[in-house]
Amino acid sequence: MTEFGFKRNFPPLEILSEGDVKDIHKGILDTLENTGIRFESEKALEILGDYGCEIDSEKNVVKFPPFLVEESLSKAPSSFRLHSRNPDDELIIGGDSVYFEGSVGMRAADPRTGERFTPTLEEDIQGVKVLDSLDNIHSLVSYCPYNEIQGIPDALRYTLNAAVRFMHSTKVARTASVSGSGQFSMKMAHLCGMGIDANVEPAPPLTFYKDAIENLFFACEVREYQDFPIRFGDGDVMGATAPATFAGSLVTSSAEIAAGIVLTQLVQPGKPVYAGHFVYPQNMKYGHPGFGGIEYGLQQAAFNQIWRKCGIPTYDAGGPSYVLSKNIGYQTGASKMQNLMVSALSGSHVIVIAGALFAELTWAPELAVLDNDICGSVGRFIKGFTVNNDTLALDLIDQVGQIPGTYLDKAHTREWWQKEFYQPKVWDDTPYDLWVERGRKNALDFAHERVEELLSTYESAALLTEKQQEGIEEILQEAIDHYQAKEMLTEDEAQQFWNTWNSVYHQ
Amino acid sequence: MKQWRREELEQRRAITSDDPLELLKRAVVNYDEKAAPKAAEQVIRQNIPPTKGLEAMTEAIRFIGDGFDIGELWLPDLVGAAKAMTAASDVLEEEIKRKGQEITALGTVLLGTMAGDIHDIGKTMLGTLLTAEGFRVRDLGTDVSANQFTEALEEHRADIIAMSSLLTSSAPHQGKVIQALRDQGLRDRVKVLVGGAAISQEFADQIGADGYDPTAPGGAKLATHMMEGGESE
Repeated sequence: MTEFGFKRNFPPLEILSEGDVKDIHKGILDTLENTGIRFESEKALEILGDYGCEIDSEKNVVKFPPFLVEESLSKAPSSFRLHSRNPDDELIIGGDSVYFEGSVGMRAADPRTGERFTPTLEEDIQGVKVLDSLDNIHSLVSYCPYNEIQGIPDALRYTLNAAVRFMHSTKVARTASVSGSGQFSMKMAHLCGMGIDANVEPAPPLTFYKDAIENLFFACEVREYQDFPIRFGDGDVMGATAPATFAGSLVTSSAEIAAGIVLTQLVQPGKPVYAGHFVYPQNMKYGHPGFGGIEYGLQQAAFNQIWRKCGIPTYDAGGPSYVLSKNIGYQTGASKMQNLMVSALSGSHVIVIAGALFAELTWAPELAVLDNDICGSVGRFIKGFTVNNDTLALDLIDQVGQIPGTYLDKAHTREWWQKEFYQPKVWDDTPYDLWVERGRKNALDFAHERVEELLSTYESAALLTEKQQEGIEEILQEAIDHYQAKEMLTEDEAQQFWNTWNSVYHQ
Repeated sequence: MKQWRREELEQRRAITSDDPLELLKRAVVNYDEKAAPKAAEQVIRQNIPPTKGLEAMTEAIRFIGDGFDIGELWLPDLVGAAKAMTAASDVLEEEIKRKGQEITALGTVLLGTMAGDIHDIGKTMLGTLLTAEGFRVRDLGTDVSANQFTEALEEHRADIIAMSSLLTSSAPHQGKVIQALRDQGLRDRVKVLVGGAAISQEFADQIGADGYDPTAPGGAKLATHMMEGGESE
């Protein structure tokens, strides 16, 4: 098996004192016990009530005894595996492992102008193939790369996204929980021998809606899905749906996640879970999320430290991924790199990053290629370096001595330089004259060429069997029947979906 | 560029007066939700026309809105002022109704986030900004169905329905509201504005909305523009 993912070879960055961690942990328990969490699910209320929680059935608010929270957190494993039909792509979550994940944009963007457009199904498939080809991208987020696709009705977007990912990539994925789409994604994952996270997102402040809870029950109660971990993602906005302070928003966001973990461990004891974080400041001028700022890194570093104490792996649900720049430029790289580095240094196990341009609203394959390089850089940093007789090279230093001695012609250099240096694939490193001669290309130009190269040479590591492909289409039809029964999809829209699908897969 | 000075804000906040209208203005610029309804009660006790109270507060919140527009004040200021104003408006409007008078406002807007969507930050902001523009705002909350909109339209005699969606899956419900308005013969009585991260101009055109803006500040300006007789650009 080849090496997949990164390992951090030194202790994680810790920014809180032990006392701070205790105070925040106590704040989480106090909030759960005294303020409580709203669950819009009768079944969840019933289960939590049976295990000693206090239920306000008028407001659907659950108050948790601290011992139940502590006991539930201790039942969740500190590491787990996510399988792939290609064994090389298996993830081992926990400990010092760090993986980078392909991200999402609702639509496509021209990477130079930022102009938005609705991609075709063909372009969505190409996006998946690019992500599948990138060596530093290890998994794929729930509706990546695009969500709004020409000829795909709204009700089927998330299910279509899952189908395309399983058809064209062996990298493990995440479900969405929107409108019950998670059940179809999990079914496809099982059919294709793939791991998948069941995504369960609270609605801050301190609320879980039905879609999220249904996804939790599917992942815990259906026997075939019991190995799939649940990924809780908070999504609080500092100053809007959470306190504006770091400490206060860490309390509310973590209380939401802890409440979800309690329910999970009651339904399926020992179920693997991650604590996912996506807390950012409110932009106080325009009212949209304040993506891309360093506040995100500060949040994630503290969050990782708090959850490490509980022994639960953490997931960075997009702080480094989402930026407010509309086209690819200085702000894009600066925003992404600062939060990516902090996230990896402080111990996130999976970090969403690749390809998202403007917020969650646009995605570009060129940016995925550029992001792949910064993932490589960060991965190189967290690997650190080895100090031993061979790397100290004292004999060699003595042998080379002073000028005119050189290390360039030494076997030691030939042996070590490629292990020690990281070489980004698309950064401009040409000398000036060559740069002029070759048409003054920058990293974005090289990224564009790399996208074309990856697509023209793409080969899947493990194609689906014909039977599995038929199975995917059966599940798509099942989703269509489900949404038609719920009056979320018309007959014409279903036909439009199959026309679009068949134009690509059954020409 | 608007003339706006922080010194003036400090002066307005520190003003001492027995005049209930001045006290109302002071409560709004101090974001004081407790002082505002008390000042409104004083307006009523002193037999000052309650509409004068609404006018005084509109002047004060416009001052806050101007500070926001030029980047000296921020959303928490705007929301604080609007909450204080709403607390006093409830008292004054009750009195106006009791006297059988008409409330003067730029217009009445029904706000709601669509069925299937629980994000309401954008809607809350829009409500605040519309209040600052001089609208009466009726917020129907989150997860609002087409029928709830049409029923509220009759009840509040609204001029504008404004709907937001952050989730793409909830956006189609906006079309259903417009269809329900058509089915019930109400479409010509009301302007429909749509917005939110999931919405585009093409989508707005496709469902037959009268106006679209992706942001709350833009939406508030568009509503004003429409009430003043302009069309969406």
